Order: sequence, then C-alpha cells, then structure tokens
Amino acid sequence: MFLVTELVALLATNLILTQALGTSTLFIAAGNKKNLLWTAITITVFTSVGSGAAYIINWLLPDTFADLTLLFYTLMVGAIYVILLTALYFAGSDSFETTRKYVHVSAFNCAVMGTLFTITDRADAYPQFNTFFNFVFSGAEAGTGFIITAFMLTAAFRKLNSAKVPASFRGFPAMLVYLGLISMAVYALR
Amino acid sequence: MNNKKAVLLKGLLGDNTVLSSLMVISPVIVCGNTLENAIALIYAFSAITFFSVIIGSFVPKRLPYAAKIIIYAIISSIVYIPVKTVAREFFPDVVTHVGIYFPLLAVNSLIVVQSETKFYRMSRASMIPSLVFYILGFDVVMIVTSFIRELLTYGTINGKLVDADTLISGLGLPFGGFILLGLMCGIYRKVRSVIRRDSGETGGDGNVSGN
Repeated sequence: MFLVTELVALLATNLILTQALGTSTLFIAAGNKKNLLWTAITITVFTSVGSGAAYIINWLLPDTFADLTLLFYTLMVGAIYVILLTALYFAGSDSFETTRKYVHVSAFNCAVMGTLFTITDRADAYPQFNTFFNFVFSGAEAGTGFIITAFMLTAAFRKLNSAKVPASFRGFPAMLVYLGLISMAVYALR
Repeated sequence: MNNKKAVLLKGLLGDNTVLSSLMVISPVIVCGNTLENAIALIYAFSAITFFSVIIGSFVPKRLPYAAKIIIYAIISSIVYIPVKTVAREFFPDVVTHVGIYFPLLAVNSLIVVQSETKFYRMSRASMIPSLVFYILGFDVVMIVTSFIRELLTYGTINGKLVDADTLISGLGLPFGGFILLGLMCGIYRKVRSVIRRDSGETGGDGNVSGN
C-alpha cells in the first residue's frame, strides 16, 4: 500500500505531466531507450544536487535580492555541469564522448530550473518544507518522476511513430496528445 | 518565394520554434490559456531572447562548448533582471500568475542550445532578421493558442465576454494545452507538407522515428 501511495504521489507531483517541465528534453531523448534512461538519470542528478544547492542559495540570498535568484541558480547549475563533466572525463575518458552528451542535454533546461523554482515556491508557501533534506528529497522525487514519464513514453514510442499513424501526426504531435491524455488521468488522481 | 526570403521566414513558417522544433513549449502549454498571459510572455520571451542572443554572439567561438553554454545562460539570466522589472510595471498580475514560467523563459533552448547550432553560424547581418523570425514563430503560436484556449475555456477574448455557447474548461488546464498543441503541431505539418509538395521542395516532417 505504501508503494501505491508513493507511486500516486510521484505521478500527482510529476513535473512533466502537471507542469509540462522538461517535455522538449524528453522528446529529444525519446528516440532511443538508452538515451532516454541516461538523460533521465542525469537530470535526476542535476535536480537532486541542484535542489540541495538551491536551499543554500535561498538561505544566503536576502529577500531584497530575490531577482538575482535565477542568476545564482544558473551559476550553481553551471558549476554542477562542469564538475559532472570533469568527473565523467576522469571516470572513463574512452566513454566520455558518449556520456558527455547526456550532461549537455540535461544541464540547462526547464526540467532542472523548473524543479528548483517549484521547490523554492513550495518552501515559501509551506515553511515546514524549508529544510535541506526536503529540498534534496523533492529534487530526487522530481527526477524520479521524469524517469517514470520517460518509461511511459518509451512504452508507446513505437506505436506513436508507426506507419498506422497519419504522417502529419506521427512522432511529436502524437506524443504530445499521448502525454496530454496521461496528464488528464493524473489530473483526476490529484 | 526566393531563397533569401525563405531562409528569413524559416523560423516563422518552415521551422517554427514551437510547432516544428518543440522548443519553449512549457509556457505555451501551461500559461498560454489567456491573451493577457500571452502578451506578457511574448514580451518577456522576445526581449530576453533577442538581447541574450545578440550579446552572446560576442562570446569567443574558440571557447569549449560547455563554457559557451554556461556563458549564454548567465547572459540571459542577467538580461532577465531588467525585463522582469519592466514586466512588473506593465503586467503586475500576470507576473505573479505566471510564476516560475517567467524565469524559465531565460533558459529557453533557443538561447542556450540553438543559438550555438543555428544563429552563431551566420553572419551578424543575417542572424538578426533570422532571430527575429524565430522569435515571431513563438509569438504567433502563443497568440493563436491563447486565443483558442481563452475563447473555449472562459468564453472571453482578452477578458471581454463573448457569446460562446460551448465551453471546455479542461482546455485551460495543462492536459488541454498538451492536446491542443499536439493537434496544432499535426495541422502545421500537414499544411507545410502540402506547401512543400506544391512548390516541389523536399524536407523532413520532423518524424523522430525515421519511419
């Protein structure tokens, strides 16, 4: 029962299905199952680590400088981007050519930045969420939600791109309508 | 249509920012449900993208890819500050209502990724008009989507009540945005393929599977 409740919660707070964040990235990676999985995992790393760092930025940045939040988040995501690329380079320079593309795709997009702003907004609205642990947990939860949606899209990918779908609607348009229908189902769960 | 004109109009018609490349779709899906939201987002997107891409074109080309991406994102985050200040003066309610989608416009893929692969490969003289048409591509889709959704969801046009018999409240929600954008995307591709066939042009339909 705990797993069912958690799954429903993950779907109900899913950033793609409820806020359309990271949809473009999902579609770019959708062409290949391996790409999709690694992109989703890399985005989870960015959202989890980034959310922890966002908590620290929010804590240090006075309210009067709130307009600088985006700039500081960008600098922080940039730092994670460089650290991750460096780590991947030293972890295996042979596979670096393959792995770095996931970092490039995942660093600056709506899924990562949207997660940071969504968690910050929630912490402002509900002060009990304003803890370092909650930020990291929510970041990881957002990334996991991305992985779940990636699997949902992968399951239907072949059919949405099959010759049975009219040529004009094959691919992206069919995927948008498909995500819309899942989003509608998730809306009913909330 | 001569070749130069076709290249210029590519961002608006042939390779529309939203309908063809599926860039910057989150604000269209979530916030593009009233014309008031659309106008504020069009202003912010146009100003942030135009100035960020122009300033970013002065970044040295020899820098590593990752460094350039970070610099472009920093530039747009700085451009975002005065744009938001002005928006707060002219659209105070919308800025609050749009919430997180306002800062997200500053990290849109047209600035962060596509500038490197599209605009910075052109001379500055041809880049500026091309950039304007890519921005207009977003603006037109935003206006059309918002008009349809506001009319069918609330029975209003820019907040003014009109005589609409059938209202579909779900169209104003994100899932309505997904479905409407998917349908618009399919219609756009159909129209584009008919125009290309008539003019004897060749080109892909954006199919991601290769089928």
